[in-house]
Amino acid sequence: MRNPVSLIRHSLVAGVSSLPLLMAAAPGAHAAGMPQLDFRNPLLTGQVIWGAGIFLFFYLALRSWALPKVDTVLASRSQRINGDLDQARAAKVDADNAVRELNETKKAAAAEAQAHLDAVLDEERKQTASRLAELGSKLEVEIASAEKAVAEERSRALESLKPIASDVTEALVQKLTGTKPDRVRIEAAVAKVAAEKSTISAIA
Amino acid sequence: MTEDRTSFDERLRAAQKRVAGKQATDQKPDAQDKSLLSLAARAGSEMLGGLVVGVLAGWGLDRWFHFRALFIVIFALLGGGAGILNVWRLMKSLERQE
Amino acid sequence: MAGGSSINVLEQFELHPVLGGLGEALSLSQAPIFMVVACVLVLAFLHFGMKPAAVVPGRLQAAAEICYEFIHNLAVDTIGPEGTAFFPFIFALFFFILAGNYLGLIPFSYTFTSHIAVTFALALMVFLIAIIVSLKVQGFKFFAHFMPAGAPVLLAPLLVPIEILSFLSRPVSLSIRLFANMVAGHVMFDIFASFVIMLAGLGFIGDVLAVGPLVINIALMGLELLVGALQAYVFAILTCIYLREAVSH
Repeated sequence: MRNPVSLIRHSLVAGVSSLPLLMAAAPGAHAAGMPQLDFRNPLLTGQVIWGAGIFLFFYLALRSWALPKVDTVLASRSQRINGDLDQARAAKVDADNAVRELNETKKAAAAEAQAHLDAVLDEERKQTASRLAELGSKLEVEIASAEKAVAEERSRALESLKPIASDVTEALVQKLTGTKPDRVRIEAAVAKVAAEKSTISAIA
Repeated sequence: MTEDRTSFDERLRAAQKRVAGKQATDQKPDAQDKSLLSLAARAGSEMLGGLVVGVLAGWGLDRWFHFRALFIVIFALLGGGAGILNVWRLMKSLERQE
Repeated sequence: MAGGSSINVLEQFELHPVLGGLGEALSLSQAPIFMVVACVLVLAFLHFGMKPAAVVPGRLQAAAEICYEFIHNLAVDTIGPEGTAFFPFIFALFFFILAGNYLGLIPFSYTFTSHIAVTFALALMVFLIAIIVSLKVQGFKFFAHFMPAGAPVLLAPLLVPIEILSFLSRPVSLSIRLFANMVAGHVMFDIFASFVIMLAGLGFIGDVLAVGPLVINIALMGLELLVGALQAYVFAILTCIYLREAVSH
């Protein structure tokens, strides 16, 4: 509060306000010749009385005629502005409601579409799965039959191999030993080897 | 679209505030009366006013009671006091505003 | 200012009877004429300004409305809710003084606010209204204001007269202020104007030198426009402050 500026200001004001003391000390010297202080002049008192009447008339004219005109215009304007603002606010609320409704509808439609899509996809998946299962079982059957055929073919081939093997063995043994071997023993040996081989190949 | 809506919101709010604030504008008394010169003139007139009233009252009382200069001296002093009081009150009211 | 032929700066404040003998009989000088002119100008301004009564105001209407709102805000903000009752009075006071101050700025016209009798009558009116309102609102409690609360009773013989004198000095200082401002401005005008005329009478060099005081006078005109408005404002706001004190309990 007591900054230098305000201190200077205060002292200046104090100094200036003491000037009237000096002026009051010599009132006659200053006031001499001022027409405003010539109170014997009837025009001076007359202007005060005239002024009182004029001011009273001015006041009454303002109060009952001029100022109410301004007041009505200002009041009607503020009413109008408030009405416009209310309208704008109402319109805004309407618009907001419409936008919210639209958004809700949109959301509902999207949800419905999603649900529909899900159902369709689910159905599709189920169908695919059953078709796949069917296909798998059919394939298995086919594979099984094909394996069986292969196994039969194999055993038949092995069966047809046996006499050849016996013949070859017989010829080999005859060449090596010079004597004709017992056909029954050879066949038994071939059958034994063939059984061993087939188990090995089956394992492999 | 959202940008438009926020700007509309803002404008509507601003318009409402403008209309509402029109009635509540804060006019600081004496705000334009703070320049040093006018302050000094005001303080001087306050001082002089006190003195003039004191001197006039003293002069009137002297005439009434047929004294030569008793009341005018007393009331000139009292009027000076009143003038100082006026100036002091003026400074106090200005300080309160600052 | 030596000879009778040179311009007397106080001459402009002299009152002259108008309308010949009738004016003299009715003590009618130019001052009441200028008061009427001021009032008529203000009323005409409001009348023609508000004639369109448009929702979107034109320039003149906007000016009239600004004047209305300015004084209305001043009255209500300073006095309080009761200010609306005093608003026409404050308006009349402000614009009577403002128009008087501004009319006086026209060369060769007359400033009725430069007469202490007029300004004192205005201030006295304000003072009396404030007292009447005080007595009506506060009753006899009004007189309690003359003894400062908390002051020692022993000092009462000194303090009460000072407080009463301080209270009575209000209209005096209010009127002195307006009067002094107006007189000072117009005396300065005349002094510099007389310089211009004196220097212009000196021939070519004087013509050149006369530009100086002429420029000063133009600057003074701007200053006086400001001072005229400011003094009217001060008168109005002090009236508002006195009325606020009167209506507050």
